[in-house]
Amino acid sequence: MEGSAAGEAILSLRGVCKRFGDLEVLRGVDLEVKRGEVVCVLGPSGSGKSTLLRCLNLLEPPEEGDIHLEERSICKGPGSGTGEQSWELDFVRQRVGIVFQQFNLFPHKTALENVTMAQEKVLGRSKSEARSKGAQLLERVGLADKLDQYPERLSGGQQQRVAIARALAMDPQVMLFDEVTSALDPELVKEVLDAMRELAEEGMTMIVVTHEIGFAREVADRVVFMDEGLIVEQGPPAQVIDAPREERTKKFLGLVLEH
Amino acid sequence: MEEFLKQFFDVGFMVDHFDEVLDGFWITVQLSVISGTLALVWGLILATLRQMPGKALMPVRFLTIAYIDVFRGVPLLLLILIIAGGVPALDFLPESVRLPEWFGKPDSFWFGVLAITITYGAYMAEVYRAGIESVPPGQMEAARSLGMNHGQAMRNVILPQAVRKVIAPLLNDFIALTKDTTLVSVIALNEVVLVGSDIQSETFNSSALTLGALLFLVVTLPLARLVDKLIAREQSRFTRGAPRVEAL
Repeated sequence: MEGSAAGEAILSLRGVCKRFGDLEVLRGVDLEVKRGEVVCVLGPSGSGKSTLLRCLNLLEPPEEGDIHLEERSICKGPGSGTGEQSWELDFVRQRVGIVFQQFNLFPHKTALENVTMAQEKVLGRSKSEARSKGAQLLERVGLADKLDQYPERLSGGQQQRVAIARALAMDPQVMLFDEVTSALDPELVKEVLDAMRELAEEGMTMIVVTHEIGFAREVADRVVFMDEGLIVEQGPPAQVIDAPREERTKKFLGLVLEH
Repeated sequence: MEEFLKQFFDVGFMVDHFDEVLDGFWITVQLSVISGTLALVWGLILATLRQMPGKALMPVRFLTIAYIDVFRGVPLLLLILIIAGGVPALDFLPESVRLPEWFGKPDSFWFGVLAITITYGAYMAEVYRAGIESVPPGQMEAARSLGMNHGQAMRNVILPQAVRKVIAPLLNDFIALTKDTTLVSVIALNEVVLVGSDIQSETFNSSALTLGALLFLVVTLPLARLVDKLIAREQSRFTRGAPRVEAL
């Protein structure tokens, strides 16, 4: 985020493969993400976009390939055979935050408690420290008046903004967004995208799986188009969205931009 | 008709024996509360062991499942007899364990507590499991993605939600447990059934047992109403306010 670190690759993937039984969801993905970069991943459903994100924070460890986070390998690749221990879970999850399509807020906790819980349990912050950080983040996403509300009392857009604050509270180096507006009513999409846009402007490294082409065009430094478990095409939004080279990209964009 | 009322509902007779029966019922209450509490805790431990992740803990999961299956399948009465007859004969155990008389209660009381806890722990473990499995998987993922380990996620995220959902069925099991404490009468614990049936065989009048039944109802009926209330409350959580995505 600081100027000195800009340009350095914070995340790099080589030949990442993931299978669910016979189904090959990722078939050798290579990708580099620089610090401070905003990468939007587009592609039809089933193309492996979400799985890619879930591989990145090891919710679904890849079977093959290698992922480097801050120059450190976070998976030992195929055949290391030592099970869960070979995945650098703590290292990854303290640096990579994720926001889910379904929010996944903790329903038995207030908005503020959702944001403070992991700060206290994982980072060992004091209650007051966690609360002040949490309140500050909730204020930043426009929810200063909702601190003590339970999730079921919040709209989808508000819940999703709490989820963003919750992930940010862990001071991540990279933020992953997994179709975070897909479960929202149309009128609530903008407030979430605005929060993400602000985050991008502040220099957060972001990988955003989305169907919001407008958002990708406007905010992304780079757009990646995926299909059938592979990256088909990538480049600046003006190139990939407005002048795609690959047939599959053209076809997909034709379908989503038509309406 | 008069004969019938005299046999089962002789009020004068009930008044005469009220103190004895109440003493017996007090034992029943103590037995219920102690075994009920232990079974609640033991069941939660079993359910948690059953959910432990990873290959290394496979034997733990297997043993837990075996335990739960076995003790749900064995009649409590049988277990009470096995324990009460068997444990005192185990010479390698210290006497305070073979013939426990802790807190001024006879050994039959503690054998009852042990048997009921073993059996109802298994039942309650299944209830907890249903609760744990009803929590959407996204909750565990969210907790893990924030850096919590499995134990932290279970403690802070999964179990609080799971337990809330199963309070009503747990209470149902507790009602059943309360009634099943009467089985401990077979090893001569002076609880309400044994007291009542001793009086019955001395006097050929069943009103003391009827009185015991009434005392049970005084406890179990409010509990049953409470269960209904809790279920209604839990259901209304899902039908009011904004749609909850996980519930769809």
